Amino acid sequence: MPKDPLHTKLCDMLGIEFPIVSFTHCKDVVAAVVNAGAFAVLGEAMHTPDEISADIKWIRDKVGGKPFGIDLVLPASAPPAGALEELAKEIPESHRQFAQEIKEKHNVPEPKGAQALHQWGGLNQEMARAQLDVVLEERVPVFTSGLGNPGFILEAAHSRGIKVFGLIGKTRQAAREIEDGVDAIIAQGTDAAGHTGPVGTFSIVPEVAAIAGDTPIIAAGGVTTGRHLAAALCLGASGVWTGTLWLACRESDSDMIIKEKLIAATSEDTVYSRSVSGMPMRTLKCPWTTEWAAPDAPKTLHAPYQMLLSSDYIQAANDHRREDLMFEAAGQGVSFVTSMKPAKQIVIDLVEEALDTFESLTSESPVATG
Amino acid sequence: MPEPQRSEKGFDAEMADKIVECDGGGPIAGTKLAGRQEFVGRATGEYVDHGDPPWRWYLVVDLTLKPDGFPGDEVWCESGSLYLKTD
Repeated sequence: MPKDPLHTKLCDMLGIEFPIVSFTHCKDVVAAVVNAGAFAVLGEAMHTPDEISADIKWIRDKVGGKPFGIDLVLPASAPPAGALEELAKEIPESHRQFAQEIKEKHNVPEPKGAQALHQWGGLNQEMARAQLDVVLEERVPVFTSGLGNPGFILEAAHSRGIKVFGLIGKTRQAAREIEDGVDAIIAQGTDAAGHTGPVGTFSIVPEVAAIAGDTPIIAAGGVTTGRHLAAALCLGASGVWTGTLWLACRESDSDMIIKEKLIAATSEDTVYSRSVSGMPMRTLKCPWTTEWAAPDAPKTLHAPYQMLLSSDYIQAANDHRREDLMFEAAGQGVSFVTSMKPAKQIVIDLVEEALDTFESLTSESPVATG
Repeated sequence: MPEPQRSEKGFDAEMADKIVECDGGGPIAGTKLAGRQEFVGRATGEYVDHGDPPWRWYLVVDLTLKPDGFPGDEVWCESGSLYLKTD
């Protein structure tokens, strides 16, 4: 066993102490994690180029010269222009009626604010390119592609000193991106929060590691403890990608109701459902997901039209802070999110538990499993 | 906002009439999330290059696999996410 099992090639590549990557939509979490010796990536897919530029400057101000990442979504398929607008008129009345029944059954109020969730234009190649240009101009240390192959941007990124990571849900996607020359692969299992592929973390990580050569693999999906970190390294990963873990941390800007729900939740409180967006997505269970899973519920619509149906519910739940209605994307590792710790403490706990786990492998006293 | 990206259309004879799979998807409007979608169909060979360096997208038609409720029978697919069916 190496002297420090947590010092991996990912640490060497990024110049970080611990092989832990935090994925978050909160820049305060990014700063706290980076300053604790780990690595953090800010999800910026829904932000304008100007907002991204401002966030990058803010983070740089908080972390000095330490590295951090920006995550964008590169669309990989798009219907021909005009087709979506036509279909929007064709949402079946039965689906509208079912959504209304849910609202009445659960006493869902009308949203207070504008329907931001209805603004689903503009998420296209042009927007993605404009976002990417900011990442290139700002020479962000790491760019991660949360969906889509970043191969076309590799040369431009590398020439500016930017490392590029690709998040994949299938081994063949990893093979393509490794061949293209990405600097690291994030292998995401179905245990993860949000929209994932169907393969479990314990299967996809060693499968990708077997073909990765010298390219570091970062394991994603269900990682919330130091034992997960140790296991991921044993599977061939050089680090872990964690998301749910940070939603309830002290620095997170998540609503306090969501934080409390996450802390109370177990793995069985998450559901893999198409009812929110029309694509399979892991979230905390809520009345909306439960009603659409009923045997007599209509079949969910394709994205973004299912989102049109769910948007009123989501907006109203959040506007009125209805604890019984609110939900959040969450991975199956949510069982181990048990308190609102500072991000730095989460990093320390992960590291100490992982080291204890490795030590237990060579001693007669196995590590306590809580 | 930056200047609009340049887009150039073209035709790639080597891709024409190839049966392809696309590990597609994209951002989901109004959320912070992205979703994956799969397609199988026939590449026509038509493409569009967006921006510089060029980001190439191929037109895929005659879809034999598409997500439930997907509108129409054709889709634009990013070249890095496109696989020949024989791969």
